Amino acid sequence: MTDAIYPQVRVVSERLMNPETVERVMNLIIATGGVRRVILNGPRLPATVPYGPAKGLPNPTEMRRKIKIAGQDVQLEVHVGNIVLELENRDFIPAIREACEKGITKFSWYLQEGRFMKTEPSLVDYAKYGPDADKTIVGLTEPGKSGLVILQGNK
Amino acid sequence: MAYKPQYGPGSTVVAENRRKYMDPSHKLEKVRDISDEDIVLLMGHRAPGAAYPTAHPPLSEQQEPDCPVRKLVAPTDGAKHGDRVRYIQFTDSMFFAPAQPYLRSYLESYRYRGVDPGTLSGRQIVECRERDLEKYAKELVSTELFDPARTGIRGATVHGHSLRLAEDGMMFDMLQRCVLDKKGNMVKYVKNQIGEPLDKEVKVGKPMDDKWLKAHTTIYHSLGGIAFRDDAEYIEWVQRIHSLRTKYGFMPEE
Repeated sequence: MTDAIYPQVRVVSERLMNPETVERVMNLIIATGGVRRVILNGPRLPATVPYGPAKGLPNPTEMRRKIKIAGQDVQLEVHVGNIVLELENRDFIPAIREACEKGITKFSWYLQEGRFMKTEPSLVDYAKYGPDADKTIVGLTEPGKSGLVILQGNK
Repeated sequence: MAYKPQYGPGSTVVAENRRKYMDPSHKLEKVRDISDEDIVLLMGHRAPGAAYPTAHPPLSEQQEPDCPVRKLVAPTDGAKHGDRVRYIQFTDSMFFAPAQPYLRSYLESYRYRGVDPGTLSGRQIVECRERDLEKYAKELVSTELFDPARTGIRGATVHGHSLRLAEDGMMFDMLQRCVLDKKGNMVKYVKNQIGEPLDKEVKVGKPMDDKWLKAHTTIYHSLGGIAFRDDAEYIEWVQRIHSLRTKYGFMPEE
């Protein structure tokens, strides 16, 4: 579970970001060394057509692909519009801002401070994970999807 | 004095566009060429060149009841041949797409015969006989009512009208039915409206620039466009209608 002492920030861009942009900016953000947890948020890109007469057909799109963050493969399942970060402390915020300035150059973006990750497991989390859920991942990923990625060797 | 429809209030470009598109005497400006075959491919109801499947025998071959209304109303081409009822559905981005669902339904009702438009918040569907539909769809796609980047032809999974645009200015589409070919600055449909892959790409033209979009849009948008609140005449009429509707039960008198 999120400890209240860890600050959270959210990077919101004017446009939904292509995988290349996400890869570039995320590598810069991770390189700051102050990131504990990340959520890449945006509208979902399903692997198969979810509704209609074509339901179940494969859904090839350019936006749903694997990117490399800190040397590790990450399967994008959304068209990223928001990057939610939990940081070690507030001192990293200027570095995150600088990373975004370098990484997102084609359009505007802003950075907000606040609480953006779940602080308590909800009833739905209880139904999904049961009473003994790992509290560090509640709200980070969906069960049944590809799950979360642990970026090794960054600490 | 003969009734002359006014189509809608408003003193801004947006209001003017709305009136223009609804008015059947205004000829819609043709912006791009699209072939009949491409329209059939985009909609995906039948294979190009195939015969129109029918829902009933042609009217000339079946016994019509003696009905004064049937004598009065000439059947459309599709009805005459007994075509099936099929649809085309559009999604219009809030970022200055030329049309929007309510307007689409209004303009189709004013301009076309035998249509059944359905309005939803983020999409608009129009149903009619297949033969007629192809004719109407061609006009809807090849004229100023359509922008390749900000308007989508989407039968299912329509999500995207209120989302941020992609980096290349295309509206979000989880099925990515159309892609922007950056080399030729051309939008190509690679899937039909329900998301089945097409055998050949269908080119629907170049995305229009921001200046064109803002001059042709029918959407009020306070960020970058004309804010609804800036159209005093429109506001006055909306408030008047709202007030009269609210007071209706009390016999309002003006």
